[in-house]
Amino acid sequence: MSALGKVVRSGVGRRRVQSLVMALTTFAAVTSSVLSLGLLAIVQAPFDHAFKARNGAHLSVQFDSSKATAAQAAATAHAAGVTEASGPYPVTAALNTAYGADCTGNIVAGMPVAGRASSPVVVATRPDLADTSGLDHLALVQGRWPTTANEIVLSTWDRLCAGGSVMFDSLPGKPSFKVVGQANSLTNTATGFLTTDGFARLTAAGAKTDQQMLYRFAKSGTDADLTTDKQAIAAAAPAGSVESGQSYLAVEKQIVGATKSYVPFLVVFGILGLFLSVLIIAIVVSGAVVSGIRRIGILKSLGFTPWQVARAYAAQALIPATIGVVGGTLAGNVLAVPVLGKASKELGAADTGLPVWVSLVVPIGTLVIVGVTALIPALRAGRMPAVQTLVVGRAPKAQRGRAAQRLASRLPLPRPMSFGLAQPFAKPARAALVGAAVLFGAVSVTFAIGLETAFTKYQDTDTTGFHAASMLVVPAGTPSGFHAPGGGPGSPHLDSTEVAAALASIPGTKAAFGWGNSGATVIGAPTGDHTIVDTTTGDLSWTNLELLEGRWYQSPGEAVINDHLSSALGMHLGDTVTVTQDDKRLPLRIVGIDFDGGSDGFVMTDNATFTAGGLTPYITQFNVKLADNTSGSDWSASAAPALAPLHAETAPNITYPNPTVLTMAALVATLTLMMIAVAALGVLNTVVQDTRERIHDLGIFKALGMTPKQTIAMVLTSVSLTGLIAGLIGVPIGMAVEKATLSQMGSALGRNMPPSVTHVYTPGILLPLLAGGIAIALLGALLPAGWAARSRTATALRTE
Amino acid sequence: MTNEPMIDLQDATKKYDDGPPALAGVSLSVAAGECVAILGHSGSGKSTLLNLVAGLDKPSSGTVTVNGTRVDQLGEAGSAKYRRASIGMIFQFFNLLDDLTVLDNVMVPAQLAGMGRLEVKRRAIELLTSLGIDRHAKAYPQRLSGGQRQRVAVARALMNRPALLLADEPTGALDSRSAEDVRRLLLDLNDEGQTILLVTHDIQLAANTARRTIELVDGAVARDVVNTVSGATSNSSAGASR
Ligand SMILES: Nc1ncnc2c1ncn2[C@@H]1O[C@H](COP(=O)(O)OP(=O)(O)O)[C@@H](O)[C@H]1O
Ligand SMILES: [Mg+2]
Repeated sequence: MSALGKVVRSGVGRRRVQSLVMALTTFAAVTSSVLSLGLLAIVQAPFDHAFKARNGAHLSVQFDSSKATAAQAAATAHAAGVTEASGPYPVTAALNTAYGADCTGNIVAGMPVAGRASSPVVVATRPDLADTSGLDHLALVQGRWPTTANEIVLSTWDRLCAGGSVMFDSLPGKPSFKVVGQANSLTNTATGFLTTDGFARLTAAGAKTDQQMLYRFAKSGTDADLTTDKQAIAAAAPAGSVESGQSYLAVEKQIVGATKSYVPFLVVFGILGLFLSVLIIAIVVSGAVVSGIRRIGILKSLGFTPWQVARAYAAQALIPATIGVVGGTLAGNVLAVPVLGKASKELGAADTGLPVWVSLVVPIGTLVIVGVTALIPALRAGRMPAVQTLVVGRAPKAQRGRAAQRLASRLPLPRPMSFGLAQPFAKPARAALVGAAVLFGAVSVTFAIGLETAFTKYQDTDTTGFHAASMLVVPAGTPSGFHAPGGGPGSPHLDSTEVAAALASIPGTKAAFGWGNSGATVIGAPTGDHTIVDTTTGDLSWTNLELLEGRWYQSPGEAVINDHLSSALGMHLGDTVTVTQDDKRLPLRIVGIDFDGGSDGFVMTDNATFTAGGLTPYITQFNVKLADNTSGSDWSASAAPALAPLHAETAPNITYPNPTVLTMAALVATLTLMMIAVAALGVLNTVVQDTRERIHDLGIFKALGMTPKQTIAMVLTSVSLTGLIAGLIGVPIGMAVEKATLSQMGSALGRNMPPSVTHVYTPGILLPLLAGGIAIALLGALLPAGWAARSRTATALRTE
Repeated sequence: MTNEPMIDLQDATKKYDDGPPALAGVSLSVAAGECVAILGHSGSGKSTLLNLVAGLDKPSSGTVTVNGTRVDQLGEAGSAKYRRASIGMIFQFFNLLDDLTVLDNVMVPAQLAGMGRLEVKRRAIELLTSLGIDRHAKAYPQRLSGGQRQRVAVARALMNRPALLLADEPTGALDSRSAEDVRRLLLDLNDEGQTILLVTHDIQLAANTARRTIELVDGAVARDVVNTVSGATSNSSAGASR
């Protein structure tokens, strides 16, 4: 090993704590940068690639065939802005389905799927399903294309019924088709595909046929573009004939949104981490240069060139930084697996890794930044004249800070504290470094606590509303939490009036409401969604379901829809949404927009509204709130005799947390802990250095009778003012960053966040946060304060 | 004067990591009111002895008792409080705090003891006046001459009216006039009853200031003699010699 190498190695060895800090901070910075840049790069790619390869449609539009002929629909291909069009293709509205009688699987033992409701399907046909010339090439994921009038392909089909049939049980003729494969349209223009003959069977059985047109437009980048485009189509068609339209942006959002929503906060951590790395490395290397003045002089007297000295000092930072960079790159790639897994699966992509260039660009970029940061103070060391460095034993004391000492000494504080208070003014540059480290820590903590609180609140939306309950009442024999996908008559349901009456009579029942999927569908709802129409009975005010806008339904004919459906349909308060069940239509006035964490649309209205409109509500579950002193098991025992004759039974309420949010929360927590650790270690490093330089003064104080406690108080006070100020600045910055991040995440998910999620900084959270800066500063200073109190200072007193 | 000595060392030994002991089985006692000079070459263990008495260091074996207190058994906090109450120290290089004024320097020991600022200030000015440096109260130590700085250090050492004044080569960094000035100051203090332990390698200073001289050689007491002539009036080089 060269002489230079030896110098570097011994330098790293002597500064274990500093080396660890540098490795940690670069690790945190690189982990989040690799993740954020990688996700940003990859998340969009599979969808974009598929959209291009399959010549996806920007918009699909259904025309009501009673208002527009196929020729009139086809003529819209020449509407303003259209660059390419396909169709018209015959298409149905969402049709209820059930698992066919030939299905052999069981939901649970003894509970066959055959005959149960399955998801509604929008069925289309095209002259050649495998055609790859027009827009929206269909992809066969599994099995084969239908070849006879009795065969169908669906976009999803339960493997419990593999090889079985799907039955359109809401059509008078109840036609059945054997599911011979799984195929999809990238933008969900339809979810089931038949041969032309097969489609004729559906029509013969009573299905209403509309015409579907697919378009590409010159301008299609934003929701606003597509709204304009859709208006152009509507203008080119007979008035009122456009029933619904599906934009590719909505689908894209659904597929890439969850993964994309990680990017904003990872970007924040990446930036914070990088700044913190630069700061820490500046602290450590300049500290090493200052405290190593003698060493530098010796190196030079031994014949080291200035450039060699500079390299030796820069390398002392680069070795641990490289370790952190390599570790961070690995960690970023490993963490990407759970984050990316879901997105890739949805598009059928096999590759769940980050692009390789990210793992090259980020670490190399970080090392360059770190290297430059280290080189600046290192070059100063290189230029230092050897004579001066050998002669100067103790760094010359600045004249600064005297005024501060004078002022502080007049404060009515114990003397050790007033000493500590004045200390930062003697070394303002160092105090600024401490402050900056604390500031980054405070920003990180504020940001992270806000985000974590928002996540929790977001999770809580999963335990409110239909999820809020002490106990559930379900039809006898159904597993807890099981709701047949299609709802309606196919799923086991309850006699809502009788069950409600029985529940009211059971002691310990505080409140209860019933709800269920009516199986009705929404006219014009996006075809790819499983839009649900729920009805409720009884008082649900206690469930804390949060409305974004408006109010709950009170009068007949009113409904609440969720924000997903609201934006999908472009409908707002006061608009009318039409639901349909068994070919009966019921217009409902929207009086409230509900926040819902799910990605499908839903409509909620009262049982009475449904019945009055001639539709049938199906209540599949009652959510029961028990009185405070009532145990679930006692209540169940006393409820059983009343419920059994009604074919109902009690079940515990089990809720599952959202895995995406859990992953995010864990990521945020990990990154934050790293940031706090690094910030505190940055403070620690600075205070250690300060203590070393002040060993002489500490010796004097000791000789004059300063106790260890007084020494600790002095050192801790010396950082607390800086910590307080940094905290006061950092908290508002952290709040602003959190707000921006959350809104970015919300828009990635295509969702409006309710106030409970966006207003997280309550006084109860803010006050401790404001003290957080001091806490980080004290945390970092505590250890060196202890060392200072115990340090052997007798030797220091003998030299000047 | 009581029979109880103010300082009592029994077989005090101090070993650092390697090499011979810095202090090897030193036993000595000093009565209240004495001014004792510790004489010896550089490296003979003088400062080590002083540090043991000050409680700044602990003996490897043996005992150090001051005013009935086993200094070697005190904890960190205990020895700090002991120094605060009973010990004043002055050093070769003064060890003043550069960024405090003369007045603030002098006030520190009393403030560490928790005394009120006004009371402390009054006493500090009193001391500075009696030492003839009150007009420098607002100056910073670096502006003063060596002799003036050592006077400030003495004022600071006397702030808490310590029973014992420890001086480690107090004239080592001073020119001869300033050294004489400090020597007279120490003599005056001793005349007023202040017990002083004076460490020096300067035979003249030992002979002219102290009434008893203990010579250390390689960490052991080589000689312990009472000066026949009082240093205050004589310039003779009587007493300890090598
Ligand atoms: N902290 C220490 N660590 C190791 N050796 C020390 C230490 N302090 C003093 N010594 C050694 O102890 C011996 C006595 O030192 P000291 O008491 O300072 O002598 P003096 O004050 O008489 O010059 C010397 O050999 C010195 O090198
Ligand atoms: Mg000495």
